[in-house]
Amino acid sequence: MSKKGTSTFVLQRASAVVLIPLAVWFLISLVAHAGDSFAEMQAWLSKPTTSIPFAALVVIGAYHGRIGLEEVIVDYIHSWMKTVFLTLSWIAALGVMGLAAWSVYQLSFAG
Amino acid sequence: MAGTPSSARPLSPHLQIWRFTVTMAASITQRGTGVANFAGVALIAAWLFAVAQGPAFFAPVGALLTSPIGGVVLAGFIWSLCFHMLNGLRYLYWDSGRGFKPATARATGWAVYVGSVALAALIVFAGLAARGGA
Repeated sequence: MSKKGTSTFVLQRASAVVLIPLAVWFLISLVAHAGDSFAEMQAWLSKPTTSIPFAALVVIGAYHGRIGLEEVIVDYIHSWMKTVFLTLSWIAALGVMGLAAWSVYQLSFAG
Repeated sequence: MAGTPSSARPLSPHLQIWRFTVTMAASITQRGTGVANFAGVALIAAWLFAVAQGPAFFAPVGALLTSPIGGVVLAGFIWSLCFHMLNGLRYLYWDSGRGFKPATARATGWAVYVGSVALAALIVFAGLAARGGA
């Protein structure tokens, strides 16, 4: 977080506030649709009104989560392994974001 | 980190001597649930991906979602997000410079634990009520 502490602090909290309604909506939907058949789930997830907030939840959630992982990593790891873990946290976060974005594109916007 | 002590003075005993406080527990739980929530978000992405790939990909995910293990993971994720959310609101309140009196911080700490279970239950009821609808 060195040299960009204030913006990280602000973005962590801004993303947290945005995630509150998304997470509440998502959790209720998750319980409501956990027993769905494939056809029901596909129909529900293909609607842009579902898939776009879904993608927003994953992208903003992974962004917020990566800031948190960085805080944990720099607190406990002080050797050269710190760079390795920080890199892994970026790869994990970007991978999760990309997977969700690609899936939503396929579900709602590709043919 | 401190290297060889330059004298025989005692070092800080912070890792050996401590007593339980709910503020400490909430802080540790906030980190634990945060890391768990990151894993949960990765699972959500995997779930989306499986649905996007088609029925063959989705079959094991759907089976897991309706299995007892899936139920436990689901319940744990719901509580984990609720705790992180409520304790996060407590931290936002702290950011405003308030809520730091020890008695207040302890009371809000307990409230977050109790409230997270209540909120998780409320979300499960709301979700079950919406089943077949939304």
